[in-house]
Amino acid sequence: MTLPLKNIQSNFPIFSHHPNLIYLDNAATTQKPQAVIQAITNFYEKENASVHRGLYELSANATQAYEAVRKKVAGLIGAKYPRTIAFTKGTTESINVVAHGFLKNKLQAGDNVVITAMEHHANLIPWQQVCRQQGANLRIAPVNEAGELMMKALGSMLDDRTRLLAVAHISNVTGVINPIGEIISMAHLKNIPVLVDGAQSVGHVPIDVAETDIDFLVWSAHKMFGPLGTGVLYCKDKLAHHLAPLNYGGGNIRHVDFQQTEFLDYPALLEAGTPHIPGVIGLGAAIDFVQQLDINEVVAHERNLGNALREKLLAMGGIRLTGNPGNATGIVSFQVEGIHPHDVASFLANENIAVRAGHHCAQPLLEAMGIPATVRASFSIYNTMNEVESVLHTLDDLKKFWL
Amino acid sequence: MKDFNKLYSETIKALNREPYHFEKRENVDAIVKAYNPVCGDRFELFIRHDANSFRELHFHGFGCSVSKASTSVLARLLENKTTVEALMLCNLFLNAITAEVPSYDVILPAEFIAFSDVRYFPERVECAALPWREMKKYLEEKTNNE
Repeated sequence: MTLPLKNIQSNFPIFSHHPNLIYLDNAATTQKPQAVIQAITNFYEKENASVHRGLYELSANATQAYEAVRKKVAGLIGAKYPRTIAFTKGTTESINVVAHGFLKNKLQAGDNVVITAMEHHANLIPWQQVCRQQGANLRIAPVNEAGELMMKALGSMLDDRTRLLAVAHISNVTGVINPIGEIISMAHLKNIPVLVDGAQSVGHVPIDVAETDIDFLVWSAHKMFGPLGTGVLYCKDKLAHHLAPLNYGGGNIRHVDFQQTEFLDYPALLEAGTPHIPGVIGLGAAIDFVQQLDINEVVAHERNLGNALREKLLAMGGIRLTGNPGNATGIVSFQVEGIHPHDVASFLANENIAVRAGHHCAQPLLEAMGIPATVRASFSIYNTMNEVESVLHTLDDLKKFWL
Repeated sequence: MKDFNKLYSETIKALNREPYHFEKRENVDAIVKAYNPVCGDRFELFIRHDANSFRELHFHGFGCSVSKASTSVLARLLENKTTVEALMLCNLFLNAITAEVPSYDVILPAEFIAFSDVRYFPERVECAALPWREMKKYLEEKTNNE
């Protein structure tokens, strides 16, 4: 049965504890539905045991539950095999695994890696550092004033020395949705593997790794109603044997003697140490929750709120939008002329409106756009049009207070 | 609810409109950088000094009203102060905005009073503290090298 978005707030306990809260920092982390919180509590109360170790019932059940989530994750993104899914700490760790465990050994002096100007620091710094270590070049595909990726320029940067292309599906600053299908086709014509940063997209818009032929897809559970500290790396089957782990230890070995070790295959290879089992269980509950929603309704809802705020801010005057892309989701960054973003955010906070102020871990993008910092409002399923109106009213008051 | 006017006193609002010595200077004796990587605030303090004391302080850059006002007060108060006096003022200011219990046994410079309520807004304390903390670091290094 589909869960309608009307009254969806009642599924999120945070709003009964903070009834006046207008939470618009969803691009940082979403709130958690009762079902996710309950699944984690249940695990600790009734099911706690380590996985892949014990021969007793609790451990066997924990293993089964843990592995069942791998299957759910695969289902969510259209991956054919659960074995293509590895659990990590989050998007950042997933990207670092690919940077160090896949790319670094292939990267030689004179090679290059291509990313875009709109990447989050997590999808910039790992590549930047590996390139510096190997004497390779990091190429940055530009973004136009609207915040959209310049596709021709991107295409011209891909050549026979490009070892990887990494791109966000959705920008965490402007909310632009990149045409990843087209980008991947372009890269694959030159045999370049593509990593897609799905931190802002998985669970929010449909994504299908088989259809788009994504090589690596990374994201975090906590931005799609799941728990903090858990993330995913999807690695296409045929690339999995190229991946080396960041961590060594128990859990990823087949046979060990004092001088050498025979390792397990991906994904177990990446999951050394006792994993964050309740995190993974919580991710499973988050996927169940997301799959009860009508994804088209989710996309339309977040987009409508974002577009309404963009339009009304422009109509208000004295506001500069940070990009205004044609195809965008519910993430909106802006500046109020003459008032620093921090002062805007504090004023909104005083009215129980939670937004982000700063550079949103995308400092180079803002510098390229000539902006030191912005205010960001990012919408999710539980936000409403009334909340958009509250933001606008409060901004009116802010101007009266300051200007 | 916290009283918003406490954070944004008239002093802070006025200093934000008309900051003290808000301009870039060249040929200075030292530049102290006050950058906040979290919010992207970036101020530079341009220092002219002689053997014992600050002669002129200017600052320029980008930051919120609280950090701009705070840097403004710093520039005005530290001019013509010796290194030891400047260091004392830095400590006094940082204590005034972070201490749970403000110390009543010292008489705070009037300019500090406007910032004494920042402590009720923990997420904004760093905005006020940043230039003073960086200046303190600079002065301590200077003292150690002498």
